[in-house]
Amino acid sequence: MILTAVWLLPALGALALAFVPTAQARMVAALFALASLALTLAVAVGFDPSHHGYQFEQNVSWIPQFGVSYHLGVDGVSLWLLVLNALLTVIAVFATDRRMPRTRGFLSMLLLLEGAMAGLFLAADLLLFYVFWEGMLIPAYFLIWLWAESGDGRRAAIKFILYTLVGSLLALVGVIGEYVYTGARSFDLGFLATHHPSPGIQFGLFFLLGLAFAIKVPLFPFHGWLPDAYGVSPTAFLVTFAGVMGKTGAYAMLRILIPLLPQPQAWWDWNAVMPVLAVLGIFWGALMALAQRDLKQVVAYSSVSHMGFIVLGIFSLNQQGQQGAVVQMLNHGIIIPALFLLVAWVAARTGTRDRSVLKDLAPRMPVLTGVFLIVTLAALGLPGLNSFVGEFMTLLGAWQLQPWLAVAACVGLILAPVYMLRMFQGVVYAAPGEQLAGPLHEAGRNQVAARADITGSELAIIVPLVLLMIFLGLYPYVVTHPMPALGIAYPVPWR
Amino acid sequence: MNGLQLAAAATVDYPPSQAFSDLAQIAPIATLAVAMIVAVLADAMLPFPRRGPVVMAISALGLVVAFAFAFGSWLQGGGHSAYFGFVTGDNFALYFEMLFSVLGLMTLAVSHAYVRRRGLYEAELHILTLAALVGMMALAAATSLVTVFLALETLSLALYVATGYSRRDTTSQEAAAKYLLIGGFASAFVLYGMALVYGASGSTLLPEINKAITADQASNPILILGVVMLAVGFSFKISGAPFHQWTPDVYQGAPLPVTAFMSVGTKAAAFAMIIRVFGSGLANVSTEWQVLLAFVAVLSMVVGNLAAIVQSSVKRLLAYSGIAQGGYMLVGVIAGGRDGVAAVLFYLAAYVFMNFGAFAVLTVLVDRKGEHDKLDDLTGLGYRNQPLGILMTVFMLSLAGFPPLVGFIGKFFLFRAAVAGGWTWLVVIAVLASVISVAYYLRVVYHVWTPSAEEAHLRRMPGPLVAVLASGILALILGVFPTLILVAGLTGAAPVLVAAGH
Repeated sequence: MILTAVWLLPALGALALAFVPTAQARMVAALFALASLALTLAVAVGFDPSHHGYQFEQNVSWIPQFGVSYHLGVDGVSLWLLVLNALLTVIAVFATDRRMPRTRGFLSMLLLLEGAMAGLFLAADLLLFYVFWEGMLIPAYFLIWLWAESGDGRRAAIKFILYTLVGSLLALVGVIGEYVYTGARSFDLGFLATHHPSPGIQFGLFFLLGLAFAIKVPLFPFHGWLPDAYGVSPTAFLVTFAGVMGKTGAYAMLRILIPLLPQPQAWWDWNAVMPVLAVLGIFWGALMALAQRDLKQVVAYSSVSHMGFIVLGIFSLNQQGQQGAVVQMLNHGIIIPALFLLVAWVAARTGTRDRSVLKDLAPRMPVLTGVFLIVTLAALGLPGLNSFVGEFMTLLGAWQLQPWLAVAACVGLILAPVYMLRMFQGVVYAAPGEQLAGPLHEAGRNQVAARADITGSELAIIVPLVLLMIFLGLYPYVVTHPMPALGIAYPVPWR
Repeated sequence: MNGLQLAAAATVDYPPSQAFSDLAQIAPIATLAVAMIVAVLADAMLPFPRRGPVVMAISALGLVVAFAFAFGSWLQGGGHSAYFGFVTGDNFALYFEMLFSVLGLMTLAVSHAYVRRRGLYEAELHILTLAALVGMMALAAATSLVTVFLALETLSLALYVATGYSRRDTTSQEAAAKYLLIGGFASAFVLYGMALVYGASGSTLLPEINKAITADQASNPILILGVVMLAVGFSFKISGAPFHQWTPDVYQGAPLPVTAFMSVGTKAAAFAMIIRVFGSGLANVSTEWQVLLAFVAVLSMVVGNLAAIVQSSVKRLLAYSGIAQGGYMLVGVIAGGRDGVAAVLFYLAAYVFMNFGAFAVLTVLVDRKGEHDKLDDLTGLGYRNQPLGILMTVFMLSLAGFPPLVGFIGKFFLFRAAVAGGWTWLVVIAVLASVISVAYYLRVVYHVWTPSAEEAHLRRMPGPLVAVLASGILALILGVFPTLILVAGLTGAAPVLVAAGH
């Protein structure tokens, strides 16, 4: 029952906001977000790490005629993603701009999105999973379109929805095909994992299902929607959009593709194609990030690059790689929102996100610079901070699969410091020759306001994320030890 | 002498108990027919100002009683064949009779408010609605080609008149003329097809036809021509492409409540007819009609969805969307079997609520100057009347097939049956077509939530609001708890398959 509450509570919060005066909307939304965070933490505390398989299970027949059940469960893979989802929603609610129009609707959609994503992480039934998968598109569409902070929100929203729908409606065919061709006459994920169709059928189903997940991740070359959608989205929404929704695609790969379709071989082996696409994505994202001037786009493309590592880890088909992927999902979910928040705060103070214009913010914003430094270092994978752990494990897994994949991914890893440090340095410091002409110097066209540094409330929003970066960097065991059973002894490509 | 003896034998063979039992099988239809006659008399005799409300009350009462009869019979496990096999009161018929009763009640509510606001006569519209409902119900209950055609004409004639109900409105007149001509054309196709099928099988009773026509008769040119004719005629009635051209014009010209009513009612009745005639009567030549219907389905989904994108009138947009939705339902008909038929029955119920709800929202925008069905007229609806905006969003998302709304579950059932029946390629086309459909459904949503300069509040209209609210709530509840209707659909599908010998 507690798992039902975990996804239903935010959804009810979204409903409750319709009956609350606008002035109190933020408070009520925060209350619901905090309550659901508390619920997920309660689940985490009560979670037994030594137990394999689902815990806190709830299994009720939903459409008995077709073997669909309302089956929820949480295991080591989904546990921390659930907490991350709740945590980021709290941060998103507090990060919501007070001047945003129609705040009530915005917060309501944020909570609805949280509910849908929580349901997705909990679903242990393929059709239920699909319902949440599609359901989360509705709030996401409205959030991109109606609250776009710049540019053409409608265009970006339509692009996003058409991209994802092509994938997910074909995935519906895949879901039905899985039901029909396995002969299992059930949608239960655990049951389907023990009933595999023939490799040829698996090949087809892998395409239908995998396309949807690849678009959502997004995996190269299906990332076309991402720069536009991230570009126009308001920062508060980006916290959960980039932080959690991208992970749903990777999570689906780990939860559905790997166990249900372990042998997708006909004309070729999909399990051999995915890691190659992942490595290409690492490169492509990094190169595109290097080429951007808009800070938001730099972060957006860096996200494409990082998601490549996650997919690489998942399709290394061994325990290190997949554990690393889950760790990296969390890390990325912590770092990317922090980067987007920092970019938004810089932009709010200087009026621009153009990397070539911004410089020398450090003297005016010492605290922001300090925070920015930690986040930058975490993002480029400095040992001691969280991202290093995940990337290391991922590469370890990839090496076991095929050494040249790990080597190629490492080259991608070298590009990360280049674009991250270039961004950081360029924005907060000035080149050696450029002397500062006192507090009112005209270095660049940026007009830095008097109250330059970040405020206490902004600091309070980002500090939890920074602390988590350090904590997970030093003690990743807390994430890895509840999931011993990953890594499946299925046929591995190239052997 | 011989003739007299025969006549005597016939009267002896039809005792009052049999007559009563037969009447009980068509009780919902008979109730509505009686209600209609009473309504006509009341309309003729009462003083003018009281005619509208009284006729409305009689109609509502008739519909409630009809529903009660159908529901009572349903609870007892359904009826059986009556009148020498010409009609039946089985669960399939009862399912539709209940559905049409609910639809009738919602139509009454919307029509009442509409005629008030447009300054039209009220009573006749209700009477025409009742007449059309009698036809629809009879169509679902008909098990002989003769009764099928009779019911089809009853339904069509009433709707021809209703389409032209707004007499001073030339578009309404044009729509009525167009509908009459093309509808007559379609009826002729159906009738000719029936004649050929009768020629090939020697009977008009569907069970007899099923027995007479075996799979090896598929090479009989008369039969095949008959099946083709029937498929063409039926496609006209469900507005399947390439026989859909009349639909947008007729939907646009007809008064809104009539459009709302026929967009779902005619479609549901026509699907009942297709399932009954093809599914149970001509089940042994299913390969032949499946190919024909698959062609119509693919074309409907593609043409309907593509044409809907460029519409600026919501009525026309919903007309094209209805063409595409008919295509999805045909996928279920083609899949066949208990699951396929049940999926179609489920989707029809879902479609009734989604589509009627959307039209009912448009009714709220009506004023004395006329209807406001342009997309631009919807601009800012979400801010002028928030509940209405939210509900319109729900209907559009449900039609587009987003979970957890009923439209998604309906599509899931349809596609599941089709994949299980080996029609995966058809499902892939259906799925890709519904990606296109999202573009225009979201276009409506876009207009609803775009702030507009005009912030005038809408006048309250209790009738449509009740219909809108009921449809919206059902779209949500049936999406979360689909088994309520699914069980009914499976029960309703059973008699057709028994008749087909499966």
